Amino acid sequence: MIAIDKLCYNSRLRYENAGEKSAFAVITLCICVMSRSIAVAGVVLAVTGILTVKKGGVPVFRYLKFLTIPLAFLLLSTLAILFHIKREPLDLFAIPLGGWYLTAGTDSFFYAVQLVFTALAAVSCLYFLSFTTPMPDILEVLKKLHCPALLMELMLLIYRFIFILLDTADAISTSQSCRLGNRNYRTALKSFGLLGSALMIRAVQRSGRLYDAMEARCYDGRIQVLSESRPPRKKVIAWIILFDGALLIFAIWRRFFS
Amino acid sequence: MSKKEKRILAFLAVTALTLGVAPRAEAMHIMEGYLPGGYCIAWGVLCLPFLAAGFFAIRKTLQERRNLITLLAMSGAFIFVISSLKIPSVTGSCSHMTGTGLGAILFGPSAVSILGLIVLLFQALLLGHGGLTTIGANTFSMAIAGPFVSWGIYLLCQKLKVNKRAGIFLAAALGDLVTYCVTALQMAVVHNADSTFGEALIKFLTVFAPTQIPLAVIEGIITVLIVMGLETYAKPELKTIGFLKEAK
Repeated sequence: MIAIDKLCYNSRLRYENAGEKSAFAVITLCICVMSRSIAVAGVVLAVTGILTVKKGGVPVFRYLKFLTIPLAFLLLSTLAILFHIKREPLDLFAIPLGGWYLTAGTDSFFYAVQLVFTALAAVSCLYFLSFTTPMPDILEVLKKLHCPALLMELMLLIYRFIFILLDTADAISTSQSCRLGNRNYRTALKSFGLLGSALMIRAVQRSGRLYDAMEARCYDGRIQVLSESRPPRKKVIAWIILFDGALLIFAIWRRFFS
Repeated sequence: MSKKEKRILAFLAVTALTLGVAPRAEAMHIMEGYLPGGYCIAWGVLCLPFLAAGFFAIRKTLQERRNLITLLAMSGAFIFVISSLKIPSVTGSCSHMTGTGLGAILFGPSAVSILGLIVLLFQALLLGHGGLTTIGANTFSMAIAGPFVSWGIYLLCQKLKVNKRAGIFLAAALGDLVTYCVTALQMAVVHNADSTFGEALIKFLTVFAPTQIPLAVIEGIITVLIVMGLETYAKPELKTIGFLKEAK
């Protein structure tokens, strides 16, 4: 149902230590976002892309397809940054619109290109994490970072419930389609409203029963989940430090000395 | 091709591109890496007081009524699922609702701020919507500004004895619009290198308007349908949900 969730359970990097993977993804992400340089973004995009696809075994086309998810946002906002509507034309090009110009400058062009690269590289860091690490492992890392117990519990429960509710929503919308519920726009809207309220009702009823079941099994405010321990490997840590250190130096060099 | 023809072609290409992309309207998540580091941290810090208030409210509720934890989690999952489902849109393409207006009306804004944060984290990791560095900015626009405005309008309409459906519609639609305006503002604060802040704001607002304004209207209609459905079929359940709102 959720494609990323499926893919990350099949990833070949799944059994690496989750802390290592999260640290790698987050540190690289931070360097990439802070550096604002095309070269750094290119390196990050290449490295995380290769790691996710080659090492992790995510099909290339699916990976590329996922990279296009934020494309609509990227295109629209880049257009907004790139184009100006002004009285006088700027240096890159200008399209006259009766007295005004739809125009763009070289500066904003390079700014936009840099932004697109940085954003794509950042997304590839995020995807490295989400394509290799199942959600329970990420939650485990958050727990080690002393995330408040209440939040941890909520996140764990929400993650479980998402799939239950998606299943229910799927079944409801299939049966609505069978009964011509999406015949035209009007019925489709009505169906969606009904689906929403039915889903909410099911969710509330289910949550009551679930609490009873938990209480019957001695729930005392803490959900204990066994975690398989996969100790971090020194070699991997060394590689991460080496790569991120080099990347940081490269980013600083690009920023201040070139 | 003459120069004029070329210009016309270029203009048409740009328009086609814009309109061709427009129907894929996501709820407005700022994508990963689009904001520079300083602003990511600043928006995150701005969220903290609201999140802390939400956290304490939830903790107080749970201390009194422990059994509401599953309901709270189900509500979070509900917001996630309702915002990940494709809603029917006029052009037949896919768009999603934010679900936060509905959440605010049902569960109250302080609970939604925490649930919204969790939902945004899951959306980033499971769906690729939004991102880790931009989670502060997204939380502020989608889980704090939008729901608080929705909640305020909903209460105001109740006070003024406006028709209930109209009130819910206004609350959800305006909450959505506020989310969209705040996001445009967040973008304009950062990306206004060669123009003024105001100009940049207007540009971002215009670019996203064709997708976001219809979306707000649809979201309003759907929220009315859902709440009306709940009031018809689920009076006792609504009463249970009401407990989440009481502790504030």
